[in-house]
Amino acid sequence: MSTPRIRIRTGNQMVAEGALHAGCLFFAGYPITPASGIYKSMIEELPKRNGVAISSPDEISALAYCVGASARGAKAMTATSGPGWSLMVETVQYALMTELPVVIAVVQRLGPSTGGATQGAQGDVLLTEYCTSGAYTIPVFAPSTAAECFEVTTLATYWAEELRTPVVVLSDKEIGMMSEDVNIDALHAWPVHQRKSVPAGENGAYKTYDFASPADVPLFAPVGGEHKTTITGSAHDKRGALQKNSPETIAVLRHLQEKVTARAEEMAYVKTDDDPGADTLVVSFGITARTAKEAAAQARAKGRRVRLVNVISLFPVPETLLTAAAEGCSRVLVAEENMTGQYRSVIRHLFPGKSVEGINGFGAMITPDAILERIMA
Amino acid sequence: MSTVQQTTFLRESVAFPFCKGCGHHHYVHNLDRAFAALQLDPQKACIVSDIGCIGILDALFATPHTFHTTHGRSTAFATGVELADGILHDSKLKSVVVIGDGGATIGLLHVVNAALMNVDVTVLVANNMLYGMTGGQNSGFSPLEFVTPTTPEGNIVPPMDICAMVKSCGAEYVTRVSATDKNLAGVIADAIAHPGFALVEIVELCTEFAIGRNKIDGKVIQSMSSGYEPALLPTTFARKEFCEEYKEKVLGRPAKTKDDTITQKYISSLRGAKRWVIAGTAGEKVQLSSYLLMRAGILCGLHATQKNDNPVTQGSGFSLSEVVMSSGDIHYTGITVPDAVIIASAEGLKEVTVNGTFARCAPSTVIVMEDSLPELQSPARVYRVPMRSLCTPLRATTSAAAALLARENLLPREAMAESIRLHVGEKAALYEQDIEKLLPLLA
Ligand code: SF4
Ligand SMILES: [Mg+2]
Repeated sequence: MSTPRIRIRTGNQMVAEGALHAGCLFFAGYPITPASGIYKSMIEELPKRNGVAISSPDEISALAYCVGASARGAKAMTATSGPGWSLMVETVQYALMTELPVVIAVVQRLGPSTGGATQGAQGDVLLTEYCTSGAYTIPVFAPSTAAECFEVTTLATYWAEELRTPVVVLSDKEIGMMSEDVNIDALHAWPVHQRKSVPAGENGAYKTYDFASPADVPLFAPVGGEHKTTITGSAHDKRGALQKNSPETIAVLRHLQEKVTARAEEMAYVKTDDDPGADTLVVSFGITARTAKEAAAQARAKGRRVRLVNVISLFPVPETLLTAAAEGCSRVLVAEENMTGQYRSVIRHLFPGKSVEGINGFGAMITPDAILERIMA
Repeated sequence: MSTVQQTTFLRESVAFPFCKGCGHHHYVHNLDRAFAALQLDPQKACIVSDIGCIGILDALFATPHTFHTTHGRSTAFATGVELADGILHDSKLKSVVVIGDGGATIGLLHVVNAALMNVDVTVLVANNMLYGMTGGQNSGFSPLEFVTPTTPEGNIVPPMDICAMVKSCGAEYVTRVSATDKNLAGVIADAIAHPGFALVEIVELCTEFAIGRNKIDGKVIQSMSSGYEPALLPTTFARKEFCEEYKEKVLGRPAKTKDDTITQKYISSLRGAKRWVIAGTAGEKVQLSSYLLMRAGILCGLHATQKNDNPVTQGSGFSLSEVVMSSGDIHYTGITVPDAVIIASAEGLKEVTVNGTFARCAPSTVIVMEDSLPELQSPARVYRVPMRSLCTPLRATTSAAAALLARENLLPREAMAESIRLHVGEKAALYEQDIEKLLPLLA
């Protein structure tokens, strides 16, 4: 085996590299700590590849530019943090409704409001997921290392294109701004994928939002292409005609959820550090998943049997994998750096009859000791 | 490509959804006439519509692409379409933003920014001076004394002049006309044909909410639209369209080929992890010293992380950096008990005190601090060295880190030397001298 090639990279840089690998050709950005590193990397790199990287006057414009570019056929991405995400929410919903793929990297910081710009947190789990009227499932993937930032961004792009929907890479200040050694020979990338397009030559018959079965993803045609497109964020039928609540329109709205739900199992992605005889399961994600690993190693050194799950696909909730991971365990500890146990509130129903407990931190990273103490309890 | 001349882009015998006498009828017909007059290929025309009565015109058109967006944001979506079309494609698509005065009020920044960029978007503002669809509320375009359900005594805030505004942003095709102007189609066609940002403000009447409350009719509208600053239609245009400018100035930027790949060259005796904190003053290369330390570790096959901290403003106050080096994967990236703390200045000392690093020092911790700083009570082994005067403030933390590294024998000395050399070139000799001076003081 040859000596591995190492590069020093931040998580933010690796999000950018993942996006470039996945074929992203359009980035619009607005500066915000701790996400600005992604913006800077894309401004540096995209023009070299004949792509567009552009500054926008606010986060609303940043995402709207991306969605416009996506409608023209480009793989598009933007990056922000909690305050910017709040501004983008209207446009996230629009992208979902119009089935225009886009990837949004949300690098979490301490909230609420402008909060602590340089203080890490995992407090935007529910804010990102439940931002739509109707609580449609927005796929959310969380990396815990710089290398995973690369991998997860390729995965997010894959699913954005496959599903034609907005997908979030949910990073955080610690992962985003910390530098670490990245073995570039060991990076994992998901297949480069392009939304499925309608074949040429059927103009006139094309319906912008057509599907046979509710879980199907409509074939894409770009604005400016040969097929007349009818894009709308209002409730619409398969042609894109505005309608109130005709059966076809309600079917279209249901389909927006159906297409994601139907692929939930396929999207499910967790990394399990198993101990078959474990009586305790620790569920975590992002920066805290790393800490949990350290705590588990210490617990095992003390003879405690513990299983770990690092949840990469936070949403759709990987129900089957989580349920299976808890098998044989009497306790499920959910470790996350927010006050109220946001992800725990979403998954606790998966573990009937088990003790589901939160390990929560706020204003500082959760320490290995804090997790170890609860594992050993 | 369609070869047949199109006389209308509208759907066949389509019924307009607008109230009787509404100015939107003129707007839609003249937009359609403009399309026909330009003989646009409908595949290369996109109507990007906003919210409001005028926004639902997308349903009236049969052939061009339609993109019905959110309130006020239509210009931003159109900008995205045009950026992708102009830079990633052949730049043939024409995007026309259909927006009311309400949309232009809430989304003003997007209009302003498109004008500043001079992107190839045509904004047609249907200004009927109020929000028609939601019940006639006043907008940012309502004239003084205008009576609406939300200004029952008459409006007391002057209207914005969007033409003057975008002109101040460098827009080159800007005009204001009445919806009943005989030349409206021609004006719209010219605006669309203009290869850059264009804005036409079309002054209209909302018959449902403006009439009755106000003494207003078509003649008043006519005089209002001509009563404003006269429309400016220059015959020569000085600015390049944004995508052209971008392709010329930004695209194809030479790919910098600085390869920063590191491969292992040395062997470290370290087993387990070492966690170091380096603190000093912003601008004194604290973060660089951690980077060089981290790089040296990686040269020895170690894993390493680096985290920097500084106040909200970047160039003043403290600067603090944390480095973890480990023979195994680094899971927890924080520092509970530091193995080493280097403190180069009063700002650095203050920060390690405030952020709790100092309180977490144990007997196993080594502190190397500038000797002019006040005495510390700590269970750690403390070395007080005149690092600022011996090494200069700019080299202090790097040289102190390198000296401590050598003394602790964590990495071969050559690894840190190489790391320093790579960054400072021949000045590396100065650091070597610093290390020689510091080493006896760390004995
Ligand atoms: S409410 Fe006013 S703006 Fe809307 S269609 Fe009627 S007259 Fe036109
Ligand atoms: Mg209006």
